Parts: sequence; structure tokens; C-alpha cells
Amino acid sequence: GAWPRVAMEASELWVGFVGAGRMAGGLVRGLLQAGKVPASNILASAPSDKNLDAWRGLGCRTTHCNLEVVHRSTLVFLATKPHILPGVLEEIRPAVGSHHIVVSLVAGITIQTLQRLLPPWTKVLRIMPNLPCVVQAGAMVFSRGSNAGDEEAALLKSLLSSCGLCEEVPESYIDIHTGLSGSGVAYVYLFAEALAEGAVKMGMPGALANRIAAQTLLGAAKMLLETGEHPAKLRGDVCTPGGTTIYALHQLEKGALRATVMDAVEAATNRACDMAKD
Amino acid sequence: MSVGFIGAGQLAFALARGFTAAGVLAAHKITASSPDTDLPTVSGLRKMGVNFTVSNKDTVKSSDVLFLAVKPPIIPFILEEVGPDIEARHIVVSCAAGVTISSIEKKLSTFCPTPKVIRCMTNTPVIVREGATVYATGTHADVEDGKLLEQLMASVGFCTEVEEDLIDAVTGLSGSGPAYAFTALDALADGGVKMGLPRRLAVRLGAQALLGAAKMLLESEQHPSQLKDNVCSPGGATIHALHFLESGGFRSLLINAVEASCIRTRELQHLADQEKISPAAIKKTLLDKVKLESPSLSVASASKVSLFTNKSKKN
Repeated sequence: GAWPRVAMEASELWVGFVGAGRMAGGLVRGLLQAGKVPASNILASAPSDKNLDAWRGLGCRTTHCNLEVVHRSTLVFLATKPHILPGVLEEIRPAVGSHHIVVSLVAGITIQTLQRLLPPWTKVLRIMPNLPCVVQAGAMVFSRGSNAGDEEAALLKSLLSSCGLCEEVPESYIDIHTGLSGSGVAYVYLFAEALAEGAVKMGMPGALANRIAAQTLLGAAKMLLETGEHPAKLRGDVCTPGGTTIYALHQLEKGALRATVMDAVEAATNRACDMAKD
Repeated sequence: MSVGFIGAGQLAFALARGFTAAGVLAAHKITASSPDTDLPTVSGLRKMGVNFTVSNKDTVKSSDVLFLAVKPPIIPFILEEVGPDIEARHIVVSCAAGVTISSIEKKLSTFCPTPKVIRCMTNTPVIVREGATVYATGTHADVEDGKLLEQLMASVGFCTEVEEDLIDAVTGLSGSGPAYAFTALDALADGGVKMGLPRRLAVRLGAQALLGAAKMLLESEQHPSQLKDNVCSPGGATIHALHFLESGGFRSLLINAVEASCIRTRELQHLADQEKISPAAIKKTLLDKVKLESPSLSVASASKVSLFTNKSKKN
């Protein structure tokens, strides 16, 4: 379908970030890496210069004024800490118009809350990214609010696909995504550390073990994504009868690794739900 | 073709029942023998129309395919006893766990220069024609001999040829497998009863669930994990239940079981090879009866029986 006249072309898009922390930084780096939006079209605000120095280093513009971001942007990312957000929304509310697209990255703040604190015509979307957006290998899910339509969803998806996997979901999946992938990245780091430690125990130097552990995870993940095969099938393919792999897998099963991982995802998801209620 | 069973216990009964139900063999073409006529399976065999005798020699004489369907420690005694009657035409099929082809060939070669020996590992569901059987052919068994056995065993379930060194693993998996399933079914039924089902219904439904799942897997190209995924709706009952199974280390328990059964089979074979099985391990009545019929047999000592040493004098 035809884009509305208001700057929908990515290169003409004025993008603003309210809040310039880690997660916002990850997204903007992904955006810039993919060349979707010129850095000069990006304006970020934060209370101090601490984070903003890095943004200026990327070629983005910066300010200490949240209202300025809203005035000068069409697509506005909200990336503050959860307890700060209500105050910020009250501050920028007067400047939010029907042309704006407001995308919240703020953990635990529901679309309902966002829509309550913003003007009733506001196009709101909520997104949950994860850290590897920084290296364009992120996993993001987003949901739309009542006024956000197909065009807004398509724009967001097209902009952020440069950062990794970006899928629209019902809002109820967002907390699950936190448990699976937001926090999930940490589970992988833990696993990588343990793999390397095992290798060190068996006599390999740590630095080499770390690099090989990381590459192993990367390679396995790449095969999963590219072959589209069921992980159990790929696992079976590696297991020669009576070989090393099946012996190792038996140890993992004895340790109930699967259940433990399920427990982890469940705990993080439940915590995300609980935090959202606070 | 006629088939004989040395031994008239669970295995002989299950196979005889399976073959006759499949129609590959008429009951009167089957002979079974055992010195113990009180076995419950004996009357079952008789009712089927199988020829029952107390003479192992008669079984051998009237059979083309001869199944050794006795417990592993008994095998050497049987081989001693019937060895003289084994001819080149016989196909000797041993179903005894852990008993190697070479040990049987060695024993028989004193009587017959080129005994046809096939080693087989099957399981009890042959009785309902859903057995799982593997076989390995011995030095003098031809391709046709293997195929003949395969045809017989395929009539009572799945049957395929394997290298002999895999048979212990098969024992651990499908030999013992039905016992794992029965245990699981008993527990599943308990679960059903706990949640309010009458026992009979719980058992019936549990068994049907496993039967259906197994059938789906056998008829599907898909990985079992994919089939599992297909049953697990997000946030639903099944995935909640599976989490419990995983927490209990369900998978590792099953791996452990297969491993334990396989290792034990190897241990028993090793013990047999080292001739360390005590007579107490062999049912006393059986031993006495075997000794009565084969005076050439001797027991090395009160505490030790040499299993694979040939003590008979060749006439």
C-alpha cells in the first residue's frame, strides 16, 4: 500500500530516543549499522551526558530536553527506566500528536498503561528487544496498541529487522519473550562459561576455550536457523552410536538440564509479570 | 518346515502362539520339550495343538529349525545332550541372552563339523505378534538360513539382521523394554486412579495411549520430539506435565535402564565364559533331570560348574 505523506521513508524519518541507556544504544547501533536511518536524523535525550557522549560519537544529535525529542521526531522510542517513565510521559504528553509513532522499550510497562498516560489518539507500540541487537543479531517482539495499524507495524518491523529477528506478537507473549530471550542471553553466557570451564579442566587454555565455546554456540544456532530442522533431529545427527556425544548428553540428562532451563524461563517470565503489576 | 523348541517356558509359548496365530506354521508342525511337565506354559502349548514331549532328542529329530528356548545357564547342558543328534540340516537358533555364537559353535563342533547357528534376541510381545527381534548368523549359517528365520520372526513382529556385537544393546533396549513399559503403565494407571479414574479404565487408557503413540511414531517420518511438540499446546496441560518428567530426570532414567540391562547382559556372558556360574543358579530339578538323561555329563565340583568344557567321552 502507499505510505502516507508524512515522512515514512526510512531515510526521511526523524527518529528520537527518550532515554539513552544500554537497550536504546543497542537499537540505535543496529539501525545505524544497517544504514536505515542517517545518524543526523537521530536525536536522543538523557538527563546527563554520561550516555550521550557515546551517541554523539556515533553521529547522532543529543539534548537534555525530552520535549525537544518529541517536537523534532516522528518515531519516538521510549527507553527510560520503568519508574521514571510515568513522569516522562506526563512531561511529553502535551507535545504528542497524531502523526507520532511512540514505541516503548520500557520493561514491564503495558500498552494499557502507555495509552492511559498519553493522548487518546497516540499510535503506541510496545517492543521487547534483547542485547544482541547491538551486533545485529537480536531477537525482538512487539505488539501494537489500539491506534497503531499495519503501516506502523510494518515500519517498525522493517526498521528493526536490521537488528535481528523482529516479530509482531500478542502482548501476552512479551513477558515470555523476556524469560526466553531477554534474560535468555544470560543463560547462554552461563552455558558458554561452563563449557569453557570444562575444557580448562581437561587442559585447554581459558582464552582459547572461551572463543571455541562461543563459536560452538554460534555455529549450532546458525545451523538451527538455516536448516529449519528440529533441534532434536540435529542433536541426533551429531550422536554416533556409542560415541562421545551421547555419553556427554547422558550426563546432561542426569543433571536434568532440560527441566532446569524450563524452570529458568518460567521464573524470569513470572518475574516479568509480577514486575509489570507493581 | 517343522520347528522345535528345547524348553517349554514363556519364550517357547510366546513364539509358538505367535507363529500359529500368524498362520506361518500349523501347531502340529511344532514340537516342544521340557523335563518339567508342571510348567503352566506346558498345558498352554498342549492346548494349542503343539506336540509336547519330555525328550529333547525327539524334538531335535523332528525339527528343521531348532529354537534353544532355555535360560542361558542351561544352554551348555542342552548342547551336550542334543549335540550328537544335531545334523548339518538343522538350523540351531539360540535365544539366550548373553550366549555367544562362538560358544555354541565350539560346543557343537565336537558333534557336527559345520553346525548352522543363529543367535537371536527377541521379546515377549511376539505373543501378540508385535515382537522386536534381531538376529546374527553364525559361521556356517547361509544367507537363506538367516532369511528363513527372518521370515518366521517377521510373522510375529519386527525382525532384522544385525552384527552380533550389537545384540547386548538390543537386549537392553527391546529385550527388557516391555518391562519398562509395564512399569510405566502401572504408574500411569496410578496417576489416573489418583485423579479419580477406576483402575481397569486407567490401565486400558494408559495402554492404549502408549500403543497409539508407538504406532504414530512407527508410521511417521517425524522425529519423536516433533511428535511430542505437536501434542504440547502453549501453556497447556501437556507441557506442564512434561516439565515434571524432565525435572525427575525421566530421560536419564531410561538411558540408565537401557545401559544397565546391556551391561548386565555382558557381565553374565562374561561370567559364563569364565565358568563361574554356580549350580544354585540353575534350577536343581532341571539339573538333576538333565544329569539323569545324560550320564556323560559331569559336574566339576560342588561349587563350580564348567559350562563350556566338553567332559563327555566321544564314542
